[in-house]
Amino acid sequence: MTGASGLLGSSTARALLTAGHEVTTLQRRPSGADGARDVLGSVTDREAVEQAVRGQDALIHLAAKVSMAGSAADFDRVNVEGTRTVLAAARTAGVGRMVHISSPSVAHAGSSIIGEPAGPADPARARGDYARTKAAGELLALAADGPDFPVLVLRPHLMWGPGDAQLTERIIDRARAGRLPILGSGLMLVDTLYAANAVDAIVAALRAVERTHGESLVVTNGQPRPIGELLTRIALAGGAPAPRLRLPARLAQEAGGAVERVWNLREHDDEPPLTRFLAEQLSTAHWFDQRRTREVLGWAPAVSIEQGMAVLAEHYG
Amino acid sequence: MTASPARPATLPPELPEWDPQWSRLVGAACADGVRTFHVLDTLPALRAQGIEPTGTILALHGNPTWSYLWRRLAAATVAAAPAAAAAGERVWRVIAPDQLEMGFSERLAHPALPAPRTGDWRRIADRVADFDAVVTQLLAEVPGSDAVSGAAEAPAVSAHPVVTLGHDWGGVLSLTWAARNRARVAGALTLNTAVHQPEGEPIPAALRAALAGPLLPASTVLTDAFIRVTLELADRLDPALARAYRLPYCARALRGGVGAFVADIPVNERHPSYRELQRLGEEIAGLDVPALILWGPKDPVFQERYLRDLRARLPQADVHRFETTSHLLAEDVDYAATILRWLRHRFPAGRSHAPARADGAQNASSDGAPAPGDGARLIFDALDARAQDGSPASVDMSRTPAQTVSWAHLSFVVDRIARGLQLAGLRRGDRVSLLVTPGNDLTAAAYGVLKAGGVAVVADAGLGPAGMTRAIRAADPQWIIGEVPGLTLARAAGWPGRRVSVRPLGALPGRALRVETSLTALVRDTPDGPIATPGLDDDAAILFTSGSTGPAKGVRYTHRSLGALAGLLAGHFGVRPGTGLVAGFPPFALLGPGIGATSVTPDMSVTKPRTLTAAALADAVAAGDCTMVFASPAAFANVVATAADLTAGQRAACGRVELVLSAGAPVPLSLMDAVAQVFPAAQLHSPYGMTEGLLLTDIDRPGVAQAAESGEHGVCVGTPIPGVELTIAPLTMDGTAAASLLSGADAAGVLGEVVVAAPHVKDGYDRLWDTQAQSARDGSAAEDSDAGAGAGPGAQRHRTNDIGHLDAAGRLWLEGRLQHVITAPGGPIGPAGLEAIVDELPGVLRSAAVGVGPVGTQAIVCVLEPNPAQGLHPGLAPLELADAVRAAALAALGLDVAAVLVAREFPTDIRHNSKIDRSRLARWAAEALAGGAL
Repeated sequence: MTGASGLLGSSTARALLTAGHEVTTLQRRPSGADGARDVLGSVTDREAVEQAVRGQDALIHLAAKVSMAGSAADFDRVNVEGTRTVLAAARTAGVGRMVHISSPSVAHAGSSIIGEPAGPADPARARGDYARTKAAGELLALAADGPDFPVLVLRPHLMWGPGDAQLTERIIDRARAGRLPILGSGLMLVDTLYAANAVDAIVAALRAVERTHGESLVVTNGQPRPIGELLTRIALAGGAPAPRLRLPARLAQEAGGAVERVWNLREHDDEPPLTRFLAEQLSTAHWFDQRRTREVLGWAPAVSIEQGMAVLAEHYG
Repeated sequence: MTASPARPATLPPELPEWDPQWSRLVGAACADGVRTFHVLDTLPALRAQGIEPTGTILALHGNPTWSYLWRRLAAATVAAAPAAAAAGERVWRVIAPDQLEMGFSERLAHPALPAPRTGDWRRIADRVADFDAVVTQLLAEVPGSDAVSGAAEAPAVSAHPVVTLGHDWGGVLSLTWAARNRARVAGALTLNTAVHQPEGEPIPAALRAALAGPLLPASTVLTDAFIRVTLELADRLDPALARAYRLPYCARALRGGVGAFVADIPVNERHPSYRELQRLGEEIAGLDVPALILWGPKDPVFQERYLRDLRARLPQADVHRFETTSHLLAEDVDYAATILRWLRHRFPAGRSHAPARADGAQNASSDGAPAPGDGARLIFDALDARAQDGSPASVDMSRTPAQTVSWAHLSFVVDRIARGLQLAGLRRGDRVSLLVTPGNDLTAAAYGVLKAGGVAVVADAGLGPAGMTRAIRAADPQWIIGEVPGLTLARAAGWPGRRVSVRPLGALPGRALRVETSLTALVRDTPDGPIATPGLDDDAAILFTSGSTGPAKGVRYTHRSLGALAGLLAGHFGVRPGTGLVAGFPPFALLGPGIGATSVTPDMSVTKPRTLTAAALADAVAAGDCTMVFASPAAFANVVATAADLTAGQRAACGRVELVLSAGAPVPLSLMDAVAQVFPAAQLHSPYGMTEGLLLTDIDRPGVAQAAESGEHGVCVGTPIPGVELTIAPLTMDGTAAASLLSGADAAGVLGEVVVAAPHVKDGYDRLWDTQAQSARDGSAAEDSDAGAGAGPGAQRHRTNDIGHLDAAGRLWLEGRLQHVITAPGGPIGPAGLEAIVDELPGVLRSAAVGVGPVGTQAIVCVLEPNPAQGLHPGLAPLELADAVRAAALAALGLDVAAVLVAREFPTDIRHNSKIDRSRLARWAAEALAGGAL
């Protein structure tokens, strides 16, 4: 597994270990998953990558550059060239299958998504360097798919849960400071994914890829909710007051940069991005057709949004 | 010798919805030499798939369109071909020429612009000959399709049926060709057209302007105004499609044919084509093949009178009116699907086609007299049986003073009206619109009409003036019997039919309303004599649906089904001669004479039944010594609210009532309990039915109480009334009802469309062939030969459009309307089941469950009625309430509710003010949840 230092990566590594797998991780910091063999390095480092994939049955490629900062070339280097390096090393090492973690942003041009299935990744239409390079990386992974090297792509959508510093804790912090805005009417339906369900989905994909491969699946809880209600419930679960600040959605969307300022976005590596893309997601309807995902993975979320909120309240309460 | 063309035929360029593979240039030997035609022909497209057609549609466009008009039929037939071929069903080829000088066909040279009585332009007779030349040549390409059956008397039972189809001028031309080639033609179809200009009637105003001599070339050749105006008759034509229609007429030199068509309209007897049109009208009347007329009633040119004329010429024709469409219905509705269903029905593969059977009117069976002992009865039998009885038949307490009519007198009046109408010219099967307020006058008029063999057309004021006008036009009555308000509306809106008033009106108002006589005069002046009564299978009545899901539909009942209804009421509810019933919903008084009961209309506003008071009801009970009370739930609610005002005597009268019947909407247990306080000795029943089947299931008060305990979801309407067969057409994942039906144990717990069959269910929808065929589907192979054939003997099948399920005890639970089904990823959901649960939550007045998002993966949304007193304002519901709704939906039904919204207001229907327009709420919710305005 590449990129196992974040919440999703380390949780998945632990889940695989619990299930009795031998797990090797590749990232720049220790994964923190007890029992995993950590190879420290970047996916741009060919030798480190080759060392990590040698002798593995399966590969989960999660590492990516997601930060706002950095040049386009930086994104290309990690998300496109890094993926190319990982793919080449895996093929050479005779790895038997691969789960590639992507993002719904690869097929997203900024408009509302209402009950649609995962569309094809399109670097030309994707917005911003992150989405563009993730789209290119996904296309590389799918191009490598074949009977002797099956590849399945997962696109987890808006993950949240206890311990998630990127989305969950930012919402709570800003709500506590009285600076969490609800964009527009706050009624737009948005799909999210409770973090523990994302882990289950990746573990399920590791089996499913042997049956079905060469396609991309958006992964959500399958429980769209009005965005205003969702933010309010996360804030309340975190012990913060309900947000009262409201911004006209059009204003926020027209000035994309303003959205980022509102959200005070600061990024860290190896975590799901909180970008202009995400800000757009929070002001337009975004929910997906999950029928194919569930059919292919043979998986359904174990934790509902309501149950997840209860865990969140307990965690931060 | 062939004159050289001014412009040869050409192939169309790339056009939207047009497959270049369909375009052929065909040279045909016309009277003036070989002419080239552009022809839409799907044969190459079929053969490219390796499929050989087994039927052919010859389609002809009118003016100023071209074969582009038929592109969707071409696409639909080609798309259906592979599956049809694989299943051994018929594959249809479409041949649709552009007429000469039209579309992309050849343009001829002419010395002058077209004019009505001069020039060398093509006329009707030439165009029929042109069509013959083209299609004869093309039919020869497929062995079998050019067969001539030989005997013109026998239907063309060919292995390869050929049918004609036309629109506008192409309608009359194709029908003429069919009539002249009877041995080659198995069926004839047409969209709006006109065969005959009735003498003495003005031609439509829209055409008059174009025909005013000097204006003719200006409007049709020099500019393309005529083409543009025609295209605007479509509901909303995509600009790219409109451009494609205009393309072959984009230059003045290309528009001569358009003007020539207009110039060939025989406006009077001096016109050169006048005699030809008269002749071909007579020829068409001899065309006895199965026929289908598809009609857009809003057409400003081809108006109702042309449809009436066409129906008279082709009495065997099935008719389908697309109520909201106009001249270009081919652009506004999926006419191709209707045509394909009709062809499949009339020309099933591997069998000789079904005999023509009129959907419509006059199921004239001269031998429909009731056979002794088969239980069949005519609706006026009970009245006839008591012709000597001096006891009260009908008491109307809404009149001052109350008006009592004995059986003997009612029978006398009814006979006089029946015979008087017949002497005035009413023929068996004539339709008679009744614009009379419920009460004794309506009862007398209705039974008089029925006994005379007339068909009672009842369009109630609840439809509103526009809805009534649409309904009356569709039913097209030959007669109107009305009071002054109705006759005034009829005059103002130009309804058809000879007029008869209820009472004499005096010379001036009578003339103003075009009234010929009055019921009073008929009763007074008609000499006694025999009455020719109708047969059981004659049409008896046309009723109209409420129109809550589109334009009101006419529902046709035969005497057999009306008689069966009367028998059922008498049998199921124990009506005996001498029984008295109070008609708290005034139209119910109409049923009294039919079932032999004395009916009493209480003192109430007949147009506002919900104003019925307990005292007025009790007085009516006392006046008729009644043991039965019929009313609507709204009226009972007011009776309960005013019950405190009852005197001891009135209470005693109510105490003698044995049966209380509430119809129109389900009755909540709380209201039933309150009604039981007023009528302590009565059984309380709440039957379920609809315009198409007035009495289908029944539940009584103990039944409602038991149902409330059962934990099933939906609204329980009880068990089927004896004689009613209840089946379920399971919902598929896309929310449509399956063709096949489940019954008995197989149906238990399965959500689906409720399908009923019973002798008293409608005979059919009126002039809505496709709607009727769809509503009678039962998924059996037998239905291909005739609609509803799968139902038991004498029974008519009807798909109710209501959805629900049967429980293990055989009770029916309603869960909403078919078009309101939510198609969640886990399967289809009936909204009423969820609503019943949400409505029970504290703080909720009323809820609607709707789906948003694509079919098959919809998110479930609960919309609540605003209630400022509870802090419910439009927008997101408060979190606690949303929690409660989600928890209830999950616990009871295992459903995930995506959003709980408070609406701005709840839209409901006009007639009942209770049916929630969930479709509108769904659109509102979808918009709001997509980030749109609230």
